[in-house]
Amino acid sequence: MSEFTRRNICEGVNFASITDDRFKLGRLSATLITPLSKESAAANALLSCVLTRSCKKYPDFTALNRKLDSLYGAALYPSIRQLGDCQALTLTVTGLDDRYALDDEAVSSQLAELLCSIIFDPNVTNGKFSDEDVEQERRELIESIDADYNEKRTYAIKRCIEVMCKDEIYSVGRIGSREDVQGVTHADIYSAWKNLLSNARIELTMLGNTPPEKAFDSFCGYFDGKPRKFRYTPPTPVTPGEVRRIAETDDVVQSKLVMGLRCMIPQTNEDIIASALMSAVLGGTPTSKLFMNVREKQSLCYYCVSRVDSYKGLMLIDSGVETDNIEKTEKAVMEQIELLKSGCLTDDEFDAAKLALKNVYMSSLDSLAALQSFYIGSVLQKEMMTPEQAAKAVDLVSKDRIIELANTLQPDTVFSLVGN
Amino acid sequence: MSFTKIENRRLGEEYFELQHSSGLKIIVYPKKGFNSIYASIATKFGSVYSRFTCGGKEICVPDGTAHYLEHKLFESEDGDAFSKYAKTGASANAYTSFDQTCYLFSCTDRFSESLGILIDLIQSPYFTEETVAKEQGIISQEIKMYEDSPDWRVMMNLFQSMYHNHPINIDIAGTVETIAKITPEILYECYNSYYNLHNMVMTVVGGVTPEEVLKVADEKLRPSEKTDAQVIFPDEPYKVVRNYTEQQLPVAVPMFEIGFKEVCNTEFASTRELICTSILMNAFAGESSSLYRLLTDEKLINSTFGHEYLEGPGYRAVLLSGESRDPALAAEMINDAVKALHKNGISKEDFERARRVVYGRTVAGLDNNRSIAAELINGEFTGRSIFESAEALADVTVEDVNAQLEKELDADNSCLSVIKAID
Repeated sequence: MSEFTRRNICEGVNFASITDDRFKLGRLSATLITPLSKESAAANALLSCVLTRSCKKYPDFTALNRKLDSLYGAALYPSIRQLGDCQALTLTVTGLDDRYALDDEAVSSQLAELLCSIIFDPNVTNGKFSDEDVEQERRELIESIDADYNEKRTYAIKRCIEVMCKDEIYSVGRIGSREDVQGVTHADIYSAWKNLLSNARIELTMLGNTPPEKAFDSFCGYFDGKPRKFRYTPPTPVTPGEVRRIAETDDVVQSKLVMGLRCMIPQTNEDIIASALMSAVLGGTPTSKLFMNVREKQSLCYYCVSRVDSYKGLMLIDSGVETDNIEKTEKAVMEQIELLKSGCLTDDEFDAAKLALKNVYMSSLDSLAALQSFYIGSVLQKEMMTPEQAAKAVDLVSKDRIIELANTLQPDTVFSLVGN
Repeated sequence: MSFTKIENRRLGEEYFELQHSSGLKIIVYPKKGFNSIYASIATKFGSVYSRFTCGGKEICVPDGTAHYLEHKLFESEDGDAFSKYAKTGASANAYTSFDQTCYLFSCTDRFSESLGILIDLIQSPYFTEETVAKEQGIISQEIKMYEDSPDWRVMMNLFQSMYHNHPINIDIAGTVETIAKITPEILYECYNSYYNLHNMVMTVVGGVTPEEVLKVADEKLRPSEKTDAQVIFPDEPYKVVRNYTEQQLPVAVPMFEIGFKEVCNTEFASTRELICTSILMNAFAGESSSLYRLLTDEKLINSTFGHEYLEGPGYRAVLLSGESRDPALAAEMINDAVKALHKNGISKEDFERARRVVYGRTVAGLDNNRSIAAELINGEFTGRSIFESAEALADVTVEDVNAQLEKELDADNSCLSVIKAID
């Protein structure tokens, strides 16, 4: 495995690569990062879907998919993430490395060309993306938003964030609302494309066995080096007032409880790792406080999990419980948080969380998808980290720092979906 | 005892296997340069093994027993396995499917200790009235979580409507009522019948050598007596129970799953049959197929549309599923396409494209420790082997695939399962 290298193409455009012969697949991606806004989030999201549906060279969905299929079932897809108050739109192409092609074709160079085509030479005529592509992708995006309600765990988490951050940009979410997607016009999509290409922060990644030089050179040709508007502004910290409680009823067998808490927005890599560790200690592993007490001791639930968003300074704890046990579970969770705040953290608990977190970081080195995701997740931080550096940083976190960070936790919103 | 090496030049891959004197089959698949190691021990005992004979006795267990046993095996007299893994940093888990139960961990450090914990876990059952009772609340919540899951319900409703008697029509975790009947004695009975090493396989994939694995195995494995456990499946008619089933749930997008039930005259399908089915289904319903295009143009499917092959002891069916605003119309068009497919067969062009897709995805699976482990386990329980697929794909013909089609996708023997919004 080669060293991780990151080259600057021009201001705001970077190309990162790892050349590694361990993998059967290669993976190439472009991530466009832009400030989240109610006005543009849906258009950006819809654009990223439309871009992966066709391009000039393969002008419809079937033609493009036939090309991908002939390249041994290569995959081309958009993924949309929220990084604090930013939207990150990733277009990924992944396919077999040339060594494993049955007919000695150069799969990887064709995939790199394809990624360039869909981004820079899309299916646009007279300033307009294809009608059919836009309408099909709009329908699918709306169906995917609707489908969040099908899975009640996803739905309850989404609702909790909506309620908790309703006056903050953060609540726009990674795609925007159903109505936003409905309202996107052709002109919006076209200007989203123009705007993202000239103003977004762009992170290109190339992972796998193929040396990156050729792809790097062809990407360089697409950027003129003009100044880009993107500047990262971290979210403003929020101090919650009295705990907001929202309960919705529905025809469900199991009730869902989601607790949203505010916590400190970490400013350094050390603190980003420390908050991840704080969440692991509380509810991130099968020996965490929540698992051991809420599930194992009190048998209240099957899952009770915490996760932290370091960009936003937000923690979510969620569980599925009997309707009669909603209050009892909330109390049990709060009890564990209070215990942690008061410094109740054994060496065993602390060490176990450290080992578990290090295992997560070190395992990501064995998966191109995980490497890409880790990289994108860290590009807006002040200093970039590799998974190895993250694993090393885990060892340096002190118990005191965990307890200090736990003491920044403040309950903000409790959302419950109540079975009737 | 020494390992046998199995290699594949085309893929540049190799693994090692050994029949350990304790009775356990051990497979080690080293991935050079990998940090992580994925280890698992699986037993050929899942939810459909609910009625069996062992030692001359016929045993019938409550629905959900195999899954309950999986949860309870984590506890032994000297504490629970999660706490032991917590000391090594391994990430541990387990799952129960229709036809197997698997215990696993993945780690990047202190592998030998973790492997010791895994081996101890499957060799030291400890079930008491108290520990069994404690799990009722936890598993009840797991069951209720699935009751609210439209993905799960659409599938279980389909199996209930396809199969008259075969226990694939019963939920893996059982129901809150059936698990209340589970006792320590029942768990011991299943354990003693099916958790003997001769019925199990250990797979270790990743940054590891066969020698490291064998050292721990030699230390920890205790010889195990082979049992004569024999599963009993009731006779299953060819025909589906009914052609349509629906359930109302709070959903915003309706969901559907169609199953085409097949004859099942061998315990498991061969690699060739699986490859041919896979090519057939990719050509018929993959993203570049004319069916996919048609259903998309009619706005009847979205990217959740997909297909899979259900295959195990006593059951086989082709499944197609997805979200749809109009499941009945989507199903009608799929059934029409099936009839046309039987008339015309797969074209050479579609075949070649689908063959490449299946080949590419098969090779891609080798980048992932977990999917390698799953293939090795399945291979051990079904008599298939992991590298056979890539080889079969290199020489399979369109005639082979069209011959397979004759045995599949019987439009007169299908069922549509729908989850729709509450009226």
